[in-house]
Amino acid sequence: MPHTTKQFRERLADVQLGDALPFYSRLSEEQRFAYKLLAPALAMMCLIHLLPIVWGTLISFMGVDSSYVQEWYRAPFVGVENYSYVLDPRTVVGGRFWFAIRQTVIFAVGSLVVTYVLGLTAALILNQKFTGRFVARTLLLLPWVAPVVVTLLIWRMMFQQQSGIINHVLLSIGLINEPIYWLIGDNTIWTLVLTHSWTQFPLVMIMLYAGLQGIPDQLYEAASIDGAGRWEKFRYITFPQLKPVSAVVVLLVMLWTMINFTAPFVLLGAQPPQAGQVGILYIYEFAFSNYQFGRGAAMSVVLFLIAMTMAMIYYKYLFDDDFAEGDR
Amino acid sequence: MIPEELRLTPAAKDGLFDLLSRAVLGCLLLFALFPIYWMVLTSFRTRTEITAADPQLLPFALEEIPAIVRDPALLLEILHYENYITMWGRFPVLDYFINSLIIATTTTAFALVVGCLGGYAFSKYGFPGKGAVGGALLATQMIPGILILLPMYLLFLWVQTTLEIPMIDTYHGIIFVYTTFTVPVAIWMLRGFFDTIPDSVEEAARVDGCSRLQALVRVILPMAAPGIAATGMFVFLVAFNEVLFASILASGDVTPFAIGIQSFETQTTAYWGEMMAASTVATAPILLLFVIFQKPIVEGLTEGSVKQ
Repeated sequence: MPHTTKQFRERLADVQLGDALPFYSRLSEEQRFAYKLLAPALAMMCLIHLLPIVWGTLISFMGVDSSYVQEWYRAPFVGVENYSYVLDPRTVVGGRFWFAIRQTVIFAVGSLVVTYVLGLTAALILNQKFTGRFVARTLLLLPWVAPVVVTLLIWRMMFQQQSGIINHVLLSIGLINEPIYWLIGDNTIWTLVLTHSWTQFPLVMIMLYAGLQGIPDQLYEAASIDGAGRWEKFRYITFPQLKPVSAVVVLLVMLWTMINFTAPFVLLGAQPPQAGQVGILYIYEFAFSNYQFGRGAAMSVVLFLIAMTMAMIYYKYLFDDDFAEGDR
Repeated sequence: MIPEELRLTPAAKDGLFDLLSRAVLGCLLLFALFPIYWMVLTSFRTRTEITAADPQLLPFALEEIPAIVRDPALLLEILHYENYITMWGRFPVLDYFINSLIIATTTTAFALVVGCLGGYAFSKYGFPGKGAVGGALLATQMIPGILILLPMYLLFLWVQTTLEIPMIDTYHGIIFVYTTFTVPVAIWMLRGFFDTIPDSVEEAARVDGCSRLQALVRVILPMAAPGIAATGMFVFLVAFNEVLFASILASGDVTPFAIGIQSFETQTTAYWGEMMAASTVATAPILLLFVIFQKPIVEGLTEGSVKQ
């Protein structure tokens, strides 16, 4: 009687859990089932997300360095010393960390502007009716679909100072007089912005494109009757109607760029120049080159807080904006 | 003001606008596709051609085209496929590929199982704490990986020394990490696909005598197959491209492609030809799969962000 046995076991499990957690016994059968479905996901997330974050925050207050890597729990508590060390711009590490934070902000804001302009342009074009539209959409998505490690290496090859095709083309059409160093020196951060934007703009494009498709045609028809031109329609209908999608896009691109490791790590190669060391890459190099885990964790927490603060300011700004304009 | 006779008629304006937008589209396509073209072209070039002072944008001169049309065998002389042969010997590319396949497919399988269960719970049932769990799922996407990597490394070291279970540089270690990272995204995407299946389907299955779980596994999951495939491909790509955790937790015998491919550029020499050949081999099937599955993938990605 496998069926009854199973039912019995289920009931038994429910009874036991119900006794242990009064909360659980009050749930309906449907809600219990939902929790059971979610249980594996929740357990894993606690283990890999929640626990390490608490733990990481904990070791940011401890002097975990190379001598304590094996037995981190024996490391002494040092209070906020790690934070005051990495945030002090007068020390070498602190100075470089602040510089890395600055580069991170440039990287995030620059990538946001470039991906948004490219993505919106592409989305607006794809929203028109023309033959080959579907093919164009597929082709424009390819930079995002191709493995990003591969595409970053292609750009690294194209940006080579001596043999790279980009310098060659720029030289031959006369835009520059001598080969430029793209992957070293002050240009590095802009190279990073451009390359990262190339890999990300299709995502922005497809999100804005979906948003465009959701704008009711009647709005445009009404505007045509009122004699609105292309620009007026874009300014007073398309752009405001895209606002909710744009808000999500801006938030995601900003946050994802600030915590992006792959782009600088692969594009800048084994010896990343200082100018290209955005926050997370600098933390990585610093923490793992000499096992400075305590200080590295402190920097990670700072980076996390900066990203979160920017996201919250942005959200508040959005909210106030909506409020002032009286949108719903 | 512009004199009357020089003003464009509405039709001419439309034509000009169309022309302009086609031109912009052309530029965008060139920008989007040139690097991919350049990868394939470089993979078919010799070292001398790659490092030449005047690199050619086309694989052959335009004057050669009639000759090639007459005798396609000429292409074999122009395009050098040697990189595709030498790369296997010069670098352990095959190992990289196998490692990546093992890691990414296992991750995908686990993430889909956990994600289907969780995504279904999110789509069809209300339960206390739903908003909080959903928020937590999204919040996981905003944590810098390095904040998790540092304690994770210490944890793996501790498990290795104290419990004597190898963790660093093992398949199970990295697969475990990747599965957890991809589960939130998988739940989020799959929830969108389950939303499109009417609630009445589960009810009907239950009337026919299925338990809730049986209804999910036997009736709902087959209906959601395209969405599951799209989510699976997305998870696969995330696992395939990950470098932060892989560079610390998966070296040695389990080095995946994403880390291994970077060793084609050494301190002294860059083997661009071989690197691009290996890259082409990795990219081609992924692009092909995308072209086949793009509809559900694109829908799954835009769903959550736009409907919000």
